[in-house]
Amino acid sequence: MADEKEKKYTTVSIPTPLFRKIEERIKGTGFTSVSSYVTYVLREIIAEDEEDEEPFSKDDEERVKERLRALGYLD
Amino acid sequence: MVNYIVSGLERSGTSMMMQILYLGGMKVAFDEKRKPDEHNPRGYFELEGGKIINRLMKGEFPMEKYEGMVIKITSFGLRYLPRGFRYKIIYMRRDMEEIFASMEKMSGKPLSEEEKIAFVKLNEYALSLLERRRDVDYITVWYNKVLENPRREIERVNDFLGRILDVDSAVKAVDPSLYRSRVEVNE
Repeated sequence: MADEKEKKYTTVSIPTPLFRKIEERIKGTGFTSVSSYVTYVLREIIAEDEEDEEPFSKDDEERVKERLRALGYLD
Repeated sequence: MVNYIVSGLERSGTSMMMQILYLGGMKVAFDEKRKPDEHNPRGYFELEGGKIINRLMKGEFPMEKYEGMVIKITSFGLRYLPRGFRYKIIYMRRDMEEIFASMEKMSGKPLSEEEKIAFVKLNEYALSLLERRRDVDYITVWYNKVLENPRREIERVNDFLGRILDVDSAVKAVDPSLYRSRVEVNE
């Protein structure tokens, strides 16, 4: 179990005062941890970079559709 | 007449919201094609066995049949929402890491980083679509805030809907024991 978690996540260091500020910031939002919030923000930054080309590209659409089929939401 | 829609990414709490509205006394449209299972023990509350998106994409979904009723259309389907109706949409949000964990569990297949980014983009795209469309009035509701304080969040939804819910009954739909895809990350 621990091995599995180690494979999926790694550690990035951020300054403790920044961590505390984020902790305060996510209080009362839907984010359940600082890690989740930071991961979301980083993915958004990567997505924004890609969006300069196309907001929701054909490749993105295909990736989403494939997963929706696996979840039983599309034929 | 208004068409009420519950939306959001798959595994974001859309079925829970459907049940809230159902117990709250709204006319909720769903069929029994997809049965309750371990992933949604209280049922999916979907039309077409969840494959409503297929019919929306082909422009074949009879939206007029569901005026005054609540239907579930997940984020991807919002792109194909037909014109000529007035929509009130409750858009569910949830910590994306929890959504991904739940999707992986349900499909039995891990998501690649590219897939995760695609879903983040879809979520943002769907929200921007709601913002842009003049025939849409919408509210966002966070899944875990509903679990934290069901009455407060359902009152908020009720205000959005125009005070038509029986809140005392609706809160009974919220079952914190079904909150299973918490993501534990070392901090």
